[in-house]
Amino acid sequence: MKNEHKNILIIGGGQASAYASQEIRKHDSKSTVTIVTEEKFLPYERPPLSKNCLVDKRKYEDCLFFSEKFYDENNIEVKKNIHINNIDFNKKIITGNSNCKLSYDKLLIATGSKNRELEFENNDLKNEENILYLRNIDDSKKINLKIKECNNPVIIGCGFIGLEIAASISQFEKKVTLIEKSSQLMGRVIPEEISKLVKLKHEQEGNIFFLNSNIKKIEKENKEFVITLDFNKEIKTDLIIIGVGSIPNTSVFENSELIIENGIKVNEFCQSSIEDVFAAGDVANFYHPHYGKYMRLESYKHAQNHGIFAAKNICGLKESYVDIPWMWSDQFDLNLQLSGVCDDYDDMVSRGKDIREGIIYFFLKKNIIHGACGLAIGGKVAKNIRLASKLSEKKIKISKEILSDTSTKLNKYL
Amino acid sequence: MSDDWKLVCKVEDIEMEDLIRFDHDDKTFCVYRLEDGFYATDGICTHEAVHLEEGLVMDSEIECPMHQGIFDIKSGKAVSPPACDDLKTYPVKVENEEVYININ
Ligand SMILES: Cc1cc2nc3c(=O)[nH]c(=O)nc-3n(C[C@H](O)[C@H](O)[C@H](O)COP(=O)(O)OP(=O)(O)OC[C@H]3O[C@@H](n4cnc5c(N)ncnc54)[C@H](O)[C@@H]3O)c2cc1C
Repeated sequence: MKNEHKNILIIGGGQASAYASQEIRKHDSKSTVTIVTEEKFLPYERPPLSKNCLVDKRKYEDCLFFSEKFYDENNIEVKKNIHINNIDFNKKIITGNSNCKLSYDKLLIATGSKNRELEFENNDLKNEENILYLRNIDDSKKINLKIKECNNPVIIGCGFIGLEIAASISQFEKKVTLIEKSSQLMGRVIPEEISKLVKLKHEQEGNIFFLNSNIKKIEKENKEFVITLDFNKEIKTDLIIIGVGSIPNTSVFENSELIIENGIKVNEFCQSSIEDVFAAGDVANFYHPHYGKYMRLESYKHAQNHGIFAAKNICGLKESYVDIPWMWSDQFDLNLQLSGVCDDYDDMVSRGKDIREGIIYFFLKKNIIHGACGLAIGGKVAKNIRLASKLSEKKIKISKEILSDTSTKLNKYL
Repeated sequence: MSDDWKLVCKVEDIEMEDLIRFDHDDKTFCVYRLEDGFYATDGICTHEAVHLEEGLVMDSEIECPMHQGIFDIKSGKAVSPPACDDLKTYPVKVENEEVYININ
């Protein structure tokens, strides 16, 4: 079966797609592999778009996962500038703009996620060139130019991306005002202490926060905007960047029989409710056997490895995806890392006393690490966060005393 | 040439299954101690120019602390993405309980 010629089609040209195409070729050199993407670029890394690219420390051209040569040599066709707008799961045909019509034997949906849009009372503001979102290279290039020109920038939303953009703007010695409707930065999955330390760092750099703040209205006054918060505080700004979360990119499939619940529902083998249709990356709500539940992740490593596992299963290897979730965020010289699940636990313990040596919060369930989140200057928490994933994966019981004792090496317990 | 050997540290300065960073001129390296001896590679990850010194050493592999690309310590080979280009490796010798690296 493995050597049978198939038509393998991948919708979306992001991280999951790129790694899936590479993995397919490790097992199958005969089948046709085609990536269809609405973007004009080959698949690229998104994390630098809010970090090094914004401060000119990394070139956009250097963000590709693989060069053109890789796709050529591996006989992987990348069709760019094509937005898929219809799909017939019975006839196994997808259609897009520019008369694109393609059939498939196996389909991988890797359409990622899209930015949640802020509702404006005044719809004219939707097309304002100084109200921006960040998702792709073009957005990042625009923001890169605008942050150099602006005087009093505002970020709406204190999730990872909003905070990273704020940290990047600070490199140009500008103070950023950040507005967040909840009471803490980066959502409830991050331990409160860590979100406080991140907030403190931003404040030390001159950024100002309005938490627990809803936006009542945004109006344009000459070239500036006036944002009114619910307690009637007015904030004047010449640049608004919005980062209020993302939603899975499933609109094309919404009226089909494909089961979608907070993303495309797939099992541990990346298979959807329809035969021969797989999904991976940000768009998939996948069953995780280790936690016994479905989850949807928006993270770099997950997109990479989920893509790889989808490919293995498309090639008939039947391997279940059991990776422990992991993600990071870089802001100023701080590096935050999170592994596993940090909002479902019966006990917790911390390790380390400050961000110089690194602080990690471990979340335990029945004496087994369920999740861990750490913050440090540079990569100081990386090793123990990684070990937390390994201890969790192997379900090794470990005491709070050991976890909190910085003189005990955790690799001894694996 | 004998003077290409640079003194890194004492044997006891590197714990088993661990590494230390070694800087020389404008170059930086990682020197590892594994069960079967000492090894050395370039210090900077080939993926996104991050130093590997805070990375996890396990099963003869070094994992980048920032994006978790993995390299085989003995061969320098990139074994797990996002790392795709190999790390350069360097000869290491131990003399009189001291570790030396040949960085030529
Ligand atoms: C600015 C930014 C910073 C980030 N930083 C971090 C970080 O620091 N750490 C971390 O762990 N994660 C980070 N992430 C998350 C990580 O980049 C994503 O999880 C990852 O890119 C998801 O990969 P994917 O392949 O599922 O989707 P994507 O990379 O989003 O790719 C999906 C692709 O599909 C295309 N597409 C969608 N619909 C269609 C259609 N109908 N027809 C054709 N093409 C279509 C899209 O245009 C896109 O190119 C960041 C994300 C962003 C946006």
